[in-house]
Amino acid sequence: MSTMCDLRIALPTSQAGRWMARFDRVPPVAWLGLHAAALWPHWRWAAARVVDGSDDPLGLAALAAFGVLVGREAGRLTARPDARWLLAAAVGTVLATAGTFALPPLLGAVFAALALACAARAFLPSGHASMPLMGLSVLALPVVSSLQFYAGFPLRVVTAQFSTWVLQVAGFAAERTGTAMQVDGRLVIVDAPCSGVQMVWMAYFTACAVAGWQGLGDRAFLRRLPAAGAFVLAGNVLRNSVLVGLEARHVAVSESLHQGIGLVVLAAVCWGVAHVMGGERHDQA
Amino acid sequence: MRLFLHPPGPLSHVGRVLWCAAASVSAALLLLVWSPQARADDSEAVKAESPYFHVNSSEPGVDRLPLKATAVDVRISGVIADVTVVQHYRNEGQRPIEARYVFPGSTQSAVYAMNVRLGDRLLTARIKEKQAARIEYEAAKKEGRTSALLEQHRPNVFEMNVANILPGDDVRVELRYTELLTPTDARYGFVFPTVVGPRYASPTASAANGAMPGVPYLHEGEASASAFDIKVSVDAPVSIKELTSSSHDVRVDGAGTPHARVALAQGTRPANNRDFMLDYRLAGDRIETGLMLFRGGDENYFLSLVEPPKAVPTRDVSPREYIFVVDISGSMHGYPLETAKVLLQNLIGGLRPSDTFNVMLFSGSNRMLSPTSVPATRANIDQAMETIRAMGGSGSTEIVPALKRLAELPKPTDVSRSVIVVTDGYVSVEAEVFQHIRQHLSKQNVFAFGIGSSVNRHLIEGIARAGMGEAFIVTKPEQAAAQAERLRKMIESPVLTNVKVSFQGLDTYDVEPQQLPDVLGGRPVVVFGKWKGDTAQAKVIVDGQTPGGPYRIEMSTAGQEDAKSSSLRLLWARQRIAALSDQEALEGGSTQKEAITALGLKYGLLTQYTSFIAVDKIVRNANPEQTATVDQPSPMPEGVSNQAIGAEVPSTPEPAAWAALLLVAGILAATLMSRRAK
Repeated sequence: MSTMCDLRIALPTSQAGRWMARFDRVPPVAWLGLHAAALWPHWRWAAARVVDGSDDPLGLAALAAFGVLVGREAGRLTARPDARWLLAAAVGTVLATAGTFALPPLLGAVFAALALACAARAFLPSGHASMPLMGLSVLALPVVSSLQFYAGFPLRVVTAQFSTWVLQVAGFAAERTGTAMQVDGRLVIVDAPCSGVQMVWMAYFTACAVAGWQGLGDRAFLRRLPAAGAFVLAGNVLRNSVLVGLEARHVAVSESLHQGIGLVVLAAVCWGVAHVMGGERHDQA
Repeated sequence: MRLFLHPPGPLSHVGRVLWCAAASVSAALLLLVWSPQARADDSEAVKAESPYFHVNSSEPGVDRLPLKATAVDVRISGVIADVTVVQHYRNEGQRPIEARYVFPGSTQSAVYAMNVRLGDRLLTARIKEKQAARIEYEAAKKEGRTSALLEQHRPNVFEMNVANILPGDDVRVELRYTELLTPTDARYGFVFPTVVGPRYASPTASAANGAMPGVPYLHEGEASASAFDIKVSVDAPVSIKELTSSSHDVRVDGAGTPHARVALAQGTRPANNRDFMLDYRLAGDRIETGLMLFRGGDENYFLSLVEPPKAVPTRDVSPREYIFVVDISGSMHGYPLETAKVLLQNLIGGLRPSDTFNVMLFSGSNRMLSPTSVPATRANIDQAMETIRAMGGSGSTEIVPALKRLAELPKPTDVSRSVIVVTDGYVSVEAEVFQHIRQHLSKQNVFAFGIGSSVNRHLIEGIARAGMGEAFIVTKPEQAAAQAERLRKMIESPVLTNVKVSFQGLDTYDVEPQQLPDVLGGRPVVVFGKWKGDTAQAKVIVDGQTPGGPYRIEMSTAGQEDAKSSSLRLLWARQRIAALSDQEALEGGSTQKEAITALGLKYGLLTQYTSFIAVDKIVRNANPEQTATVDQPSPMPEGVSNQAIGAEVPSTPEPAAWAALLLVAGILAATLMSRRAK
């Protein structure tokens, strides 16, 4: 069988056949590069959003993680990509292109990122996890500001409500109005920077990176993913409650202490997420 | 579906070519579609005109504080003040600038002249229609000519624009106005406002209120770098006594004589963050009443001041309902609200048990202390005061919804209602407020108490005028008792009602005001107008009703002509413009624009539709496009906190993104390394 294959490659029967043979020799990474180049206006839009300061450059970390996960498999990339994933990549590319006519730029870019992730998955060895790659590709986009815009308010309301209950249990006279809290007569607002959207990004980034590195299967990954949401909600409520409690007690919270409390809680959340994602793989399908 | 159930083999050669072609077409389509213009365009978004905190820009070479000094020279002769204000601008930067400065004026001022001193040269400003003046100014600015434009946003808020002030330039803009001083209870008062309070711009406000520029403010307690000086000379026919200032430390020369001079004393307090207020009496508690007649070139003008009779306490006082409308917005936070609380203590505490009362507290929203008015019993008063004392000022100033709710309150037919509004007036919806009061509250006497050191007197006086009540200003808690007592006397015993002024032997026309309000306190009846005929045999007759019976006073016009009273023509025009503006506010829109513009142009007065413009003939700035526009900041009025603009409310932001990312990277590295070690 292998002899026959070698013969087919070695002996093209026509001019067209010789061109086809050249296509065969293009390495998978170059195919991915070409695909990425075909979607370049979306990356240009994403880069412009980061450069003009309208979003945090957190996506660069996700892009780097995506690159590492694909790069560590560079030697095992198949020359015979999986057609199903290639088809999914083609659909994503068409949607990304069509989306430029009718969709907001971010949605078009999400399709483009997913298309690229599908293309990468097509060249990866059979059985490789796909969901962490897709997650990282989407997190590589400037999504934080949009998340803040669309999900920020509900997150703030939820955080404020849970914090109110926590503080009431802790003996404070706490009351929530919208996203503002009146705690022992002091007004504290859960505004956009307090919503926990950044923590959401960090937690899901950790989940995708750990799952991708560990080679966690897609089903196991999806089964464990809600834990990341729970960690984030608990962490943000805890962080908010501690800081609001200090404000209500008129404790002078310095900027460094403020940052320190936030970082400690974030570390606990991300450690928890990493622990869940990197745990024993007995639940894999 | 079948495709996914049975994985196909690797792509054929043709498949790969098709794949490549599809990617290329996709890239081509994206190239066609991509355009930077596809981004959202917010250029048509409505611009907010709210006050904001001044930020000292780091832009090199730009003088951000071009107004170096304001000098005021006031000459009071009889009942007329002639005021000269000199604004001194100097550019100490390295780049040419355009300076914009929003500053206050007296509500009654008739601004009639402006000129600009540029080095040794004098540029005299002309009055022009507002839009035409703005176009001329913009053209001069683009051409590189030094120019100055003075516009009116409210009768007491003006904006000075000075374009092309070159580095090292010394520009002195001089403007002049005149105003009538109307005594109250035989006491004369002159007020020179120095700062426009930060006005709340309601997002739901009607455009009919007129534009109000966004003004930058220094923080509470931060002194302005701009110097301020004021000098006042008072000339009266008799000795001047009790010449004092309740706002500033002053040095008085000539007290007790008919000619007094007042100047600011050296002090440590900034002088330009509150109204300058000067009070005095004339010997024998006289007020300058009578007639002033001026024979002009084309028309003749008169001014009549009639001293009202003394108030007589009436025995039968019918029960009244009092509704107190109290502003508890952010600008009232602190000292103003504390002053208001003392005032309310005096006002509510002095009610009779037969009276009923209610209190409405408003800021962004409003609430009544009780669903309906309650008797002024000690228990109800104590309960109301307890609630009021617990209030802290915060939030916006939505006065129009508060007045709308007030108008909807059911009113017993047999009880007369008095509405007492307590506010600093830091809003920009004056026209809507006046319109609403005229339309819905005209049958209830509306009294307005302005609280603070730099009250929006246009709103306070306008509320009183529209509501047929009186305006009061309370700057300190210790004034509260006297002002509350004054209100009580006014309500219990109006001095003169059904007032009518007639002329015998003189043909008068264009008389202002056309309908005289009731005289509630010790304020004279003031009538402006024009006349024709011989003044030798004529007389003015004032009729009215006092609690004790009919009242009549006659004054002869003989010998009252005074060639020096030329300012009467300006004051008459100012009065007519104010009446037309009231009418316009009631009708909505710009229905009186033509009439006001015509008066402004004829009498050379600054109005909402006419502006002063001065343009240098010489092009001095070779690169006008390099000019930086600088908004001169105003100090925060004394006693007003940063909450008037918006104080920082504590929040709980997440840690910095870079620190969080570093931390997560560390956790990832540690987790993956520990896994590998296992």
